[in-house]
Amino acid sequence: MEEGRGRLGQAHRAREVVAAAAVLALALAVAPVAKTAVPAAHFQFVDVAARVGLTRVLEAGRPGKDHLLDSAGAGAAFLDFDKDGRLDLYLVNGWRLEADRVGERGRNALYHQRADGTFEDVTDRAGVAGEGEWGSGAFVADYDNDGWPDILVTTFGRNVLYRNRGDGRFENTAARVGVEAPGWNTGAAFFDADGDGWLDLYVAQYVDCTLEDVLKAKRTLWWKGLEQVAYGPFGLKGAPDHFFRNEKGRFVEATEAAGLKDLALGFGFAVRAADFDDDGRPDLYVANDSDPNYLYRNEGSGRFKEIGVTSFSAFDGNGMAQASMGIALGDADGDGIPDLFVTNFSEDFATLYKGLGHAFFEDASKTTGVGPLTFRPLKWGTALADFDNDGDLDIVVANGHIYPQIDGHPEAIGTYRQKNLLLENRLRRDDVPAGAPPETLFRDASAEAGPGFALVRSHRGLAVGDFDNDGRLDILITALDSPPELLHNEGAAGSWLTVVCEVPGGTAIPIGTRVTVTVGGRAMTQDIAAGDSYLSTHDPRPHFGLGGAETADEVVVRWPDGTRSVRKNVRARQFLVVKKGS
Amino acid sequence: MKRSAIRWTATVAGAGLAAALAITPAHAQTPPPATPREMVAAYEALADTILGANKAEVKLVHAILAATYGHAQGELARARQALKASDAAAARSAVENVAAAVAQIGTEGDNAVAGVRKRLLQGGHHANAEGERQGIYDDGYVVVTKAAKQAFLDSSKALAMLAREPKAEALDAEWKKVEAAWAKHIAPGK
Repeated sequence: MEEGRGRLGQAHRAREVVAAAAVLALALAVAPVAKTAVPAAHFQFVDVAARVGLTRVLEAGRPGKDHLLDSAGAGAAFLDFDKDGRLDLYLVNGWRLEADRVGERGRNALYHQRADGTFEDVTDRAGVAGEGEWGSGAFVADYDNDGWPDILVTTFGRNVLYRNRGDGRFENTAARVGVEAPGWNTGAAFFDADGDGWLDLYVAQYVDCTLEDVLKAKRTLWWKGLEQVAYGPFGLKGAPDHFFRNEKGRFVEATEAAGLKDLALGFGFAVRAADFDDDGRPDLYVANDSDPNYLYRNEGSGRFKEIGVTSFSAFDGNGMAQASMGIALGDADGDGIPDLFVTNFSEDFATLYKGLGHAFFEDASKTTGVGPLTFRPLKWGTALADFDNDGDLDIVVANGHIYPQIDGHPEAIGTYRQKNLLLENRLRRDDVPAGAPPETLFRDASAEAGPGFALVRSHRGLAVGDFDNDGRLDILITALDSPPELLHNEGAAGSWLTVVCEVPGGTAIPIGTRVTVTVGGRAMTQDIAAGDSYLSTHDPRPHFGLGGAETADEVVVRWPDGTRSVRKNVRARQFLVVKKGS
Repeated sequence: MKRSAIRWTATVAGAGLAAALAITPAHAQTPPPATPREMVAAYEALADTILGANKAEVKLVHAILAATYGHAQGELARARQALKASDAAAARSAVENVAAAVAQIGTEGDNAVAGVRKRLLQGGHHANAEGERQGIYDDGYVVVTKAAKQAFLDSSKALAMLAREPKAEALDAEWKKVEAAWAKHIAPGK
């Protein structure tokens, strides 16, 4: 949430825009887009949240958003907590404040999906309302390896860890297992750092402040000389991130021992664990607001080395730290190497870090088009996902400003409530007329993506999942002082394959598993993560668009322990269950 | 600035202010009295301390950079030795360390230093406020300009990528760029 760097920063960014435009023009002239026989996208998203019973309003501080906590919002998760094959939803909630006192402690919500596609609020029955804490994010993993997905709720306060008892009820074990970590906890990721079969946990923290600071906050920061808005984060003290080693279901603070000490006290927001250097060990990326982002390379035995700067994923291409909010991971350009997409503050690019292999990156925001397309809004939750099943990964971004006061000056940078963005990946399109000038990889398809992308709110968390199991990815989005949006994908999409990875007698969700699907000689890879986007967790079933193909040549599942399962000639349009050891 | 100096200055200034208040009539028609000489002297002393601290900061950052550059040179020598001995693993490790050190020159220190700088900025201290306004320096940077930062970061990346498969000639060529950037932007007298 960067502001207060003054007009200089804006002037600098303005110069960058001019430079970006020049680079974009150059890119348009020289960068051809690969084309294959896949029909053009016809996106159509419809918000069905109210119709299917999702009504819980996200409480978000005071109307004026006097403190950054008022406007940080909360995340959401797709999960199948009762293992009935239908995705359920978990929504985190904040508090409503009235001036300097607490008006209402919002309650989290667990929605169980019925067979008819509607949802039932089972929060009370399950016992997962949030323990009265001001919630931040939802991260789903089976931390105790009992075969049932558990939910970590990070909070401004003490974290809550809901252990799934397997009977529809949960119990908060955070204190017992040692992950309460009082403070302003934000993004988190479960991952097996040391390869012992138990999921370790990294939790980012944002600003070091107390509830009293929040309650007594006044808007003292002059925004563009026009309005006084919430102060920070610049000028506030960052809070340290934490790493907990999982010792058979109990967690031990091991931040420093693992080489993960947050030396710069970055304003941590989002965390994503993934094997960036393809050595079979999970690494860790942390998006910091206004500070350089971290990339921790796993050196083995649960030890990490911070290589953000030398990997070129700490700064943008200009060597500037950005105000980062959310993370998406995926192979955007189809070269077989995962890329990173990081959302940032308004009047700044979202950055697409093109993976070069071996955990090296380069800023491809301008040449791919995502930079100019994302410059204006304030960007949060995000995902790289194939929404039209054409075989390439599109980008969705949840947008919304943090200062309601900007509505008095819409000419400046727009409004507090904003539309979300859908950027179509044109890697696989074939409808470019012969002789047409080359195009950038991404284009803004939001305006033609249906009424779901016309909603104007101050959006925050975002999770992607196929909630109705129809082979098209849907989108769950949270918004301040609003009920959630569930954007049902009703577009004309291509063929698809979803892979369900199971470990008989073992973990409910094999975090860190990587699935590679090969079609027509082209390989596509997805991994399973717990902790993604902004404060959220996606559907744990890797989904692949197959374009016009009705068969996948090969499906390879690389399990966290390095073993593999392989399937050949797999029929499309199915949920392929792959069991470890088979 | 030493705490004792601040405390002494504040004590003198406080005493002077109290004295001034004590001798000023409630409804004086005359111009306000000149600031007592003792208070001006105290303020001069404080100014010396503040400006001295700024100079000390520049020296300290130069020292940090020099130490980092020295470390990079040491790792470079180790890398060259390893390459001569065909010890690929040692060469990889050493070149990666060179890359990390060069990156640290670009960012004027590691994450720990960044934490200190952030604290200074939070306290309103900008070593090069005018330079920041002109777009020459990043916020809080003391010695390394934006141009210098970019040069070192570019070299750092090239070195880090080189670390995958180190080659003596490529290493020498990239190090020459580092030396040139150092001479141009950081070396004493710059």
